[in-house]
Amino acid sequence: MNTSVPTQPKKRTDAAAELRKRMGDNLVAIGRDRDEVAFADVYSYYAGRVKSFLMGKGMVEEIAEELTQEIMLTVWRRAESYDPAKAAASTWLFTIARNRRIDYLRGNSRIEVELDDEMLDIETTENDSQAKFVDDAQDSIRLKNALEKLPQEQRQVMHLSYFRGQSHGAIAKWLDLPIGTVKSRIRLAMQAVRVSLQNEEEALSEPSND
Amino acid sequence: MSVSHHLADETLQDYAAGSLSSPMETLVACHLTVCQHCRDRASIADHIGGSLFEEFEAVDVSLSASDLLAQANVMPAHSAPSASPAANPVSGVPRPLARLLNDPLEELDWKRIAPGIKQYNLSDQHRRFGAFKLLHLAPGVVLSAHSHNDRELTYVVKGSYQDEVGRFKAGDIADLDGDVAHQPVVDTDEPCIALIATHSPVRYTGMFGKIMQPFIGI
Ligand SMILES: [Zn+2]
Repeated sequence: MNTSVPTQPKKRTDAAAELRKRMGDNLVAIGRDRDEVAFADVYSYYAGRVKSFLMGKGMVEEIAEELTQEIMLTVWRRAESYDPAKAAASTWLFTIARNRRIDYLRGNSRIEVELDDEMLDIETTENDSQAKFVDDAQDSIRLKNALEKLPQEQRQVMHLSYFRGQSHGAIAKWLDLPIGTVKSRIRLAMQAVRVSLQNEEEALSEPSND
Repeated sequence: MSVSHHLADETLQDYAAGSLSSPMETLVACHLTVCQHCRDRASIADHIGGSLFEEFEAVDVSLSASDLLAQANVMPAHSAPSASPAANPVSGVPRPLARLLNDPLEELDWKRIAPGIKQYNLSDQHRRFGAFKLLHLAPGVVLSAHSHNDRELTYVVKGSYQDEVGRFKAGDIADLDGDVAHQPVVDTDEPCIALIATHSPVRYTGMFGKIMQPFIGI
């Protein structure tokens, strides 16, 4: 048996889906009832990942620990703003951790769209078919499968970017590649994920075993 | 007006990863404000971050959940030093840019840098990280042909220009690969106002060439 190949992809996908649902339900329960048991479950799954994320970005442990506590408290205090129809729990946690890290390192907040901006949505494009929100559990699984199916070289640059905080230029240097190669790997990965969200049948097939 | 030039995938991914400078973020957020299509793509980039987050290996944390909640009352709630909500937004400009302006576009303290070309620097603080400025181009202005060394974003705030790549109108973003040589021309009788940010503090080698050409940008 080749241990590097998932032998039971179906089961693994089910477990991932089950975990996602549980974490989403937990956040809803925290928001609604200040449910401490739900929080303990969220904490045990995410706190160590948040800290790991911050340290992966080059932060010393002491500060990463402190920010992790702040971030987890934010989860506790702001869970009512979590909308399970809009994002998986992990996406919500990731954006909170990312934004708090930017705040800390830069001293000013990440600049984002303001949803009450009078300019919002005055534009539409002719061709919106390729864009789509990841708005349900099925989409989350499709996205996860698509990421798992990416060639290793594409997964590697995505990881370095999201979790080592490296600019595309720094990744290129690190891997001794032209920056154009790094950018095109990222582009290909993004496109593959988008395609998987458009094309249900293809994307719902399990990660191939070859 | 409708948007026809969008953000590149790698720019949206960099934005989602949190690796862009605040000038670059401003440009991205301006375009996202007026472009549902790119907002959807940006959201997918966030979901990718979330999904990869699950693959991440956890490290030990010193506090337990119940310790943390017990301390919750003594720990201050973090509030981001966000801009005040009523930061005198300039109408007709996406809020991420409007927050940086104290006056309407035409009343800004523009500096003339060449015939028909004025600029307004948005931040001295970011000078060493690359340019962050508004450009005001008179009708008919033709910029000298040039290419770029690294990532540079141009968001059209008002008016339009045309170059080898196409026609860029208000709301469009030019997110071009470095090697594309182009020669923008303001192609209506309205001035064109564009917001520009360049990336990368390591790119000083090309700077003198750019400064010699009186015009930097787009
Ligand atoms: Zn767009």
